[in-house]
Amino acid sequence: MLFLTRLAFKNLARHKNRTLITSIIIAFAIFFYILMDSLVGGMTEMSYSTLINYEIGHLQVADRQYWAEEEKLKLENLFTVDEQMMKSIQSIPGYIGSSPELAFSARLNNGSDELPVIGKGVRLEDFQTVFALADQFVEGSFFTPGEEQAVLGKRLAELMELEVGDYLILVVKDKNETFNTIEAQISGLAHTSNPNVNQNIVYLPLDLAQQTLNVGEQVSKVVIRMEKAHTASRVAAELEKKLSAGGDARLGVYPWNELEAVSFVEAQKIENQVILAIILSIAAIAIINTVILAALERREEIGMMKAMGLRNSEVVYVFVLESTGIGVLGGIIGVLMGVGGVWLMNTYGIDFERLYGMDLASFGMPVIGKVYGVWNPFSFAKVVAFGIIVSFISSVFPAYWAADKDPVQTIYHR
Amino acid sequence: MKKHLFFLVVSALVISNCAALALGALTAEEIIKRRDDNEHFDTAQVEAEMIIINRNRRIIKTMTTYAQGDNGLVIFSNPRDRGTKFLKRGDDLWMFFPDAEDLVKISGHMLNQGIMGSDFSYQDVMESDKLTDLYRFELIGEEEVEGRPCYVLEGIAREEKKVSYYRRKSWIDKERFVGLKEELYARSGRLLKVMYAPKVQKIEGRWYPMTVVMEDKLRKNTRTEFIVKAIEFDPQIPAGAFTLENLK
Repeated sequence: MLFLTRLAFKNLARHKNRTLITSIIIAFAIFFYILMDSLVGGMTEMSYSTLINYEIGHLQVADRQYWAEEEKLKLENLFTVDEQMMKSIQSIPGYIGSSPELAFSARLNNGSDELPVIGKGVRLEDFQTVFALADQFVEGSFFTPGEEQAVLGKRLAELMELEVGDYLILVVKDKNETFNTIEAQISGLAHTSNPNVNQNIVYLPLDLAQQTLNVGEQVSKVVIRMEKAHTASRVAAELEKKLSAGGDARLGVYPWNELEAVSFVEAQKIENQVILAIILSIAAIAIINTVILAALERREEIGMMKAMGLRNSEVVYVFVLESTGIGVLGGIIGVLMGVGGVWLMNTYGIDFERLYGMDLASFGMPVIGKVYGVWNPFSFAKVVAFGIIVSFISSVFPAYWAADKDPVQTIYHR
Repeated sequence: MKKHLFFLVVSALVISNCAALALGALTAEEIIKRRDDNEHFDTAQVEAEMIIINRNRRIIKTMTTYAQGDNGLVIFSNPRDRGTKFLKRGDDLWMFFPDAEDLVKISGHMLNQGIMGSDFSYQDVMESDKLTDLYRFELIGEEEVEGRPCYVLEGIAREEKKVSYYRRKSWIDKERFVGLKEELYARSGRLLKVMYAPKVQKIEGRWYPMTVVMEDKLRKNTRTEFIVKAIEFDPQIPAGAFTLENLK
């Protein structure tokens, strides 16, 4: 057995070119998979953080009936934030901040054109404890509390030909379905990595929104930021119990990972997994092809081995071991290349927009700007194991087929 | 001198009382009611043209409209929109696109949009409740519109009533009791839309606006003209005209 094993390794060393070329094919398959996986991981992670940092926070408190039709932004089933509710919210583990928000649909008017947008009435000091918008201003700054001012995304402003200092008109329908208008001066324009914030949202002081929409002191939801994102589901359940005990049984608490926007990213992730599976299948076909061709080329050698007295199973053993060896070698080269590639992507990132004029937002990924790769050791191990297993399995059948041939026929061609 | 002064004061009092009587001869509600008697009908068939003017663009749409009580059916006949239909049943509105063979219910925010890109919103044509139920009208004066003497009425939305416009100011022809102009305001006081009726005609004994112009005051250089080509009151409308099956 040891002899056969040594023979297999000797064969690998003897046919340097063949070993190297086959390994490199496997290595490239592994390399591409690792790169893609790192990129997809990076995109998903960025999508989560852009959603959390600019749109959804970690937890959202809202009326259950409001939540069921949240996207309609109806001015029904709103609630007033009282002291006891705030105490319950502030007492959650890892609490950082909370921001009451009144969301409404509006038509943004610049005097000649109109565009449907989402208006958000926010209290500045609370908003900044939850969302990172303050660091993303490209012009101007946040509105001054008490002033009739507004903040919007740079893209939306460009589309409507609005600038800082200009007045915008928001046409809204109040609680009684009656038209009302908000005239506000633009105090700042922001550009974030979240396309929804850049293109669809206009922020206003909460009291101005409440007054215009005739909803009193009510808000649509309270968005909460915590220290640890992964504890959101557990904390949400605890807070919901606490609010219910405090008499707010109609309120639900919704963690970020259960929100629709996040499930959309999850769906995208599944789509990407399908793409990765296709890459792996192509890689597998390449490996199988190479191994089969190698086996066919070596029919004479196999015949010779059999003529020298090797049994079928011994021939197959040598053969399969050789192939698996090629798989291991390809895996090592692939991982080394992958480490280099992921390091580059992790350090410098890829700007799809600049490189290919590709806007990821138009594919539904809430990501703008550079995408950075992530390290995923599990994926490294997974794909190397895959390469080795495919090399192993794909060599078994050709080896059996070749070993089964009559040695005379394989050696003697005439 | 004293006698002369007394005469002047009495005359002034009499004249002012007469004026009040003349104005007060009809209350705001009565004026609105008389206008409604003219303009509203139970059943009608209308051949009309809608001209949408947006800056330099001019789009003409032709249509046949059937109306009966709270229900209405509009069938477009201009080449581009031929076969497109709107069906209003009570408070619900559906639209049918013949190319896609698709039926769409228009609700929520979509109701605020202009019909086929015009200055008339779906909501504008959906308000079927009596205006006097929705607004508290007051006669605020008299003015001339296009040389016609008019009553000027101001309607403020009644508390807790669901209406699109908080305030509306209407100019109603004093003799023909037909609306010649109307301004529609947001709660904030901003003027949103202005409607004119430059052409009024007597049909089957009632004065009716044959051309209505709507201007969206929040958009520059746009207006929509709705021109009635032919109108027939109380026609025979085929059974099932206002059903979803018929729409398809």
